[in-house]
Formats: sequence, structure tokens, C-alpha cells
Amino acid sequence: MPTFFRDIYERRELLGILIGRNLKIRYKNSALGFFWTLLSPLFMIVIYSVFARIMKWNLGRDDFLQFLVVGIVVWQFLVMCLNDSLNAIAGNGNLIKKTAFPRHILPVSTVLANAVNFLLTFVVLLGFLLIMRSEFQSVWILPLVMASQCALCLGLSLAISASHVFFKDTEHAIGVGTLAWFFMSPVFYSIDFQMDILPAAWRSAVFLNPMSGVLSAYRYALMSEPIPGAEHVWVSFAMCWAVLLAGQALFRGSENKFADEL
Amino acid sequence: MKDKPAIAMEHVTKTFRLRPGGGRTLKALAMDWIRFGRAGRAFDALSDVCFEVRAGETLGIIGANGSGKSTLLSIAAGAMTPTSGTVATRGTISSLLELGAGFHPDLTGRENVFLYGAIMGLSRKIMRRRFDAIVDFAGIENYIDQPVRHYSSGMYVRLGFAVAVEVDPDILLIDEALSVGDADFQGKCMKKMAEFKERGKTMLMVSHDLATIQSISDRIMLLDNGTVLGTGDAEGMVNRYRVLSAQQGAGELAREWGTGEIKIEDVAFLDEDGQKTSAFRWGRTLTAEIRYRAAERVENPVFGFSVSDRGGRLIYGNNTQLERFAVPEVAGEGRLRLTLNPVCLATGAYLFSFSVHSADHKTNYHRLDHGFPVVVEAEKTAAGPCYMPCQWSQPES
Repeated sequence: MPTFFRDIYERRELLGILIGRNLKIRYKNSALGFFWTLLSPLFMIVIYSVFARIMKWNLGRDDFLQFLVVGIVVWQFLVMCLNDSLNAIAGNGNLIKKTAFPRHILPVSTVLANAVNFLLTFVVLLGFLLIMRSEFQSVWILPLVMASQCALCLGLSLAISASHVFFKDTEHAIGVGTLAWFFMSPVFYSIDFQMDILPAAWRSAVFLNPMSGVLSAYRYALMSEPIPGAEHVWVSFAMCWAVLLAGQALFRGSENKFADEL
Repeated sequence: MKDKPAIAMEHVTKTFRLRPGGGRTLKALAMDWIRFGRAGRAFDALSDVCFEVRAGETLGIIGANGSGKSTLLSIAAGAMTPTSGTVATRGTISSLLELGAGFHPDLTGRENVFLYGAIMGLSRKIMRRRFDAIVDFAGIENYIDQPVRHYSSGMYVRLGFAVAVEVDPDILLIDEALSVGDADFQGKCMKKMAEFKERGKTMLMVSHDLATIQSISDRIMLLDNGTVLGTGDAEGMVNRYRVLSAQQGAGELAREWGTGEIKIEDVAFLDEDGQKTSAFRWGRTLTAEIRYRAAERVENPVFGFSVSDRGGRLIYGNNTQLERFAVPEVAGEGRLRLTLNPVCLATGAYLFSFSVHSADHKTNYHRLDHGFPVVVEAEKTAAGPCYMPCQWSQPES
């Protein structure tokens, strides 16, 4: 693991160029360019809020729109990372086959490019919440929450990018997997909802889903939304970093075979 | 410094698994589990390859398609890990990617140059300093801010070569890339490579362009089906490769037939010094010694030979009858010598055929068609399969 971060630091210029490349390619040949970063969560929000209104789904709260927007913006970051990771390695066959450089720079650059996107969206999100007079509290936890979410995304990105080199099924699995995970995470419902389903003794098990803790932590800081069972929220954050460790180990174990498969 | 090799491979073996149907899927994986083993045939792209490239030396690698050349370069570049064996390299390595592979089509030439530099581990500062030289060498000033998807294949290669050379590595790996540029650019590349050599840099080069690789390499290594057939002086190895590929090609054309009263047991090709060889130089002497055996006495046999190109097209043929060399009779074992002096063939590989038949051509005792590959090296090139000595002059008026 130390070499993992040392390699990243040593090749930071390459990393910077790759992040720039990822961002540029995403918006090349599209007229609206970078605005898609804002537009796609915006569309998601419009769709969900319209349906929530029709279905009369508002969790009995006045600030349901803010609640939903925070959830979707945070969730989008994860989904974009997972989708982009599929081809982080497999889409760079020529580089992998002909040149030697730390392979994990590629998924790292994918996640960081999406993190840049996320941060820009986040600025807009903050503006929106200010206008809606949302109550902030303990915002100092936000960098920690973001770092943990990045760790989670990176861990998954390492696993997915490596797996997709060997198994083309990965793509399909990701589609189904993220959909299931979306419904299992408190994006458009609150964490109480999850807890109510579980037997009383098992309520804290919801934090085994790292996104449960991450989403409620964002809402805690941005909307002063209390977290039930907060003393166990660390489990989610530990999960984030555990996923990074596991993803990294998986990647390390298979990276020598990338050039053979591509 | 000079003593330690720039690249050293010891007993390098690379095994791939060939999977029917290409990509691996979970289904295939499940099937493997059921069969308690891994599906697919293993095949050694390289087996037990050992060689060294000294610092400042240029080693050429030749061999037929699929002989493992590109795999070898990938391993030397550190991009691929060998299944077994060790690889040691000293200094920075830059690969000249085939046809600008590694360039991203949506990025501009400029962006790709910096990306490549960063992959090679060069800082932005250094790359900025070398940028003008790269663009200048590639000769694409007007297109450098265009996405490379709009580049012609020639422009791709020019930019690829320019970047790979200008990052100024200690070791340059070149994979079959120069054949695409036009003659002018090829000349520029050759000059650059010569300059590179003069500065004591090391090159490992793969090419099918035998003339180029022969002229630039200090030594050449010949690969066949993943094994090293030999490493040696450039001309010798190129000739050996020509013979090898002629032999492999001849395999399909070679034919042996006849009634068998006389059998050609063996033909040995000898140079002026009587040494056995299958590589000859233009203008020198080629001697073929035919060993035959006749079970019973045969009168007035005619011995013949012919030369064809690698596709089996006849170039020249002659026999004892046409040359009025009488062989009144043969019985038991005997030898006959054919001397060609001078050899008038152009550079290339040829197939010799030998035959013995009756004087009236009605009975073919024994014919060995296209069975004997020979390569010829001529100093000058000309069109066609032969090189006739020729002189040009302008008569004074």
C-alpha cells in the first residue's frame, strides 16, 4: 500500500495529464461541453422530483427537494466512477502493451477526474442549498467524507478496471449491481427507512453499506439531518477504506497479466 | 559502464493461453472450473530466450510473423512480464509505438506529445523545451493543434518517431514502424538513428525491412517460433533468415518425383573456398555438387538444374545436354559439379531444382523441384530477379 501511494506521488505529472485527458475527452465534440456535468444531475433531480410529487413521496418533509438533490449528486459521483472504470485499463491497450508505468495511475486518474467533476457540481450544490436556506453544521467533516468516498470509488474502480480486462461480463454486472445498490442505499429515502426494515438488534448493520454512512454524513453536514445510531457510522467509513485495500490487492495481483490479455 | 549490458534477458519464456472464441467470460471460467483446469491451449510465444545488448549497441531482431518479436519488445519495455526467466535493463527506455499507438485520437498532437512524455517519466518542463524540436522533426507544425484522428498514417508515424527519439532515452525500442513514412522521412529517421548510435545509445529494433535493419544493426538476432536461432553479424543473419524463410516457403512448392533408375542423393552448395553455404554474393562463384546413385547402368542421362524465385516462377534453367557436356553413362555412385560463375542473381532468396532424365526427355529418373533454397546478396539493386553488369556513358558528340 505505501508503494501504491508513492507511485502516484512520483508520477503526479502523468496523473495530472491523464486527469486532464479524461475531462477533455468526456466533453469533446459535445456542444454543451462541461455543462453536462451540471445538466445530468439536474435532469435526474427533475425526473425524481416530478415522480416523487406524483407518487406523493416526500417522506413527510418540506425540504425533500434538498434531501433528494444531495443524495443524487453524491450518488452520481459513484456511478460515473464505476462506469468510467470499465475502460480505464481495457481502453488503453496500446499503452499497457508497449510501455511500463504504474498501471494503477489509470484508474486513479479516472476517479480523480470524476472527483474534479464532483467538486464543481458540489459548488453549485452549495449555492443551491444556500438559496434554499439550508442549515449547515460541522462542515469540517466534509473533506473527510469526500476522501472516504474517493477511497471507496477508487477501490471499486481498481477492481472493476482489472476485472474488465479479463471478463467482459463485468460491464453487465456493473449495470445490474449499481441499480441494486441504488435501491439499497438511502438516496431517495432516509436511513431510518432502512433501519426500520431490520430487527432492532441489527439496525446498525445498515452502515455495512458504505454509502449509507456517506450519504447520511453529507446530509448531516449540509442539512443538519441527524444520523440515527450515529455511534456506528464509523463502520461505513471503515468499509470505504477496506474496499480500497481490497481493490488495491486485487489490482496488484492481476496487473502483470494485463498486457497478455489486451 | 560499457561492460554492463543495457538489456540482458536470461532464459525468458512467455506462455500465452489461446482461448477459443477470444475473450474470456464468466461462462468460460465456470467451464474451466468444471473441467478442473484452464481451458485453452498453452503456447510459448518465447521459449528460453537469452541475449544481451551492450550499451551503445544496436541489435536487430528478425523473424517471420508470429515468431515472438513484438512480445520480446514488450518484455524489454517492461510492459509484459515473462512467465519465467529474468530481464535486466539499464537506463531509461522509450518505445517507438507502431503507428503512433498510444496516441489518443481525440487529443491534439500537442496534448499527445505531453502525454507520451509524461508516460516516459519526463517532466513538463523538459518536454516544453523539446517540444519545438519534436514538431520540427515531425514536420507537422500546421497540424499540431488538431486532434490526431485527423492525421494521415504518415503524420502519425512521424510524430510517434519524433517523440520517441526526442525524449532522449538510453534505450530506444523500435517496432516495425518506419515502413510507413515516405522516402524523405525514412531518410531523416535513418540519420536520426545514426546520430543516436553515435551518441552511444542503445537500440533494439524489429523490422521486416531486411535491407534497413541490416544496414543499421551491429548484430542481428533471428527468432523462429519463439526460439533464438542465432545471433550474429547482420549480413550473416539476414542471409540465414532468407534461407530459412525460403525453406519454409519451399516446403509447399518442393516436390520429388521420378522413376528412380538414377537418384540424386544430395546436393551441396559450395563457395569459392569449397565451404558449404547457402548464401552467395553477386559476381562470385557458386558450385553445386550433386551426389547420385544409379542402381543399374544408365546410358546418356541428362542432368539439369533450374533457378526460380520464391513463388516458384522460373528464372533460369539449363542442363548437360544444352551445354553439350556429355555424360555417356552412370553406374553406382558418382558426383557431378555445376559451377555458376559469376552469380548474376539480384539480392533475394531463390529455389534451385535439380533433375536427371533421359536424353529424349521421355523418362524422368529423378526430379527435386524447388528443394534447395539459396540466398544472394548483390551490392546494387535493380529491377527484376537478376543483376546484369551494366555501364552507362555519354558518348562525346
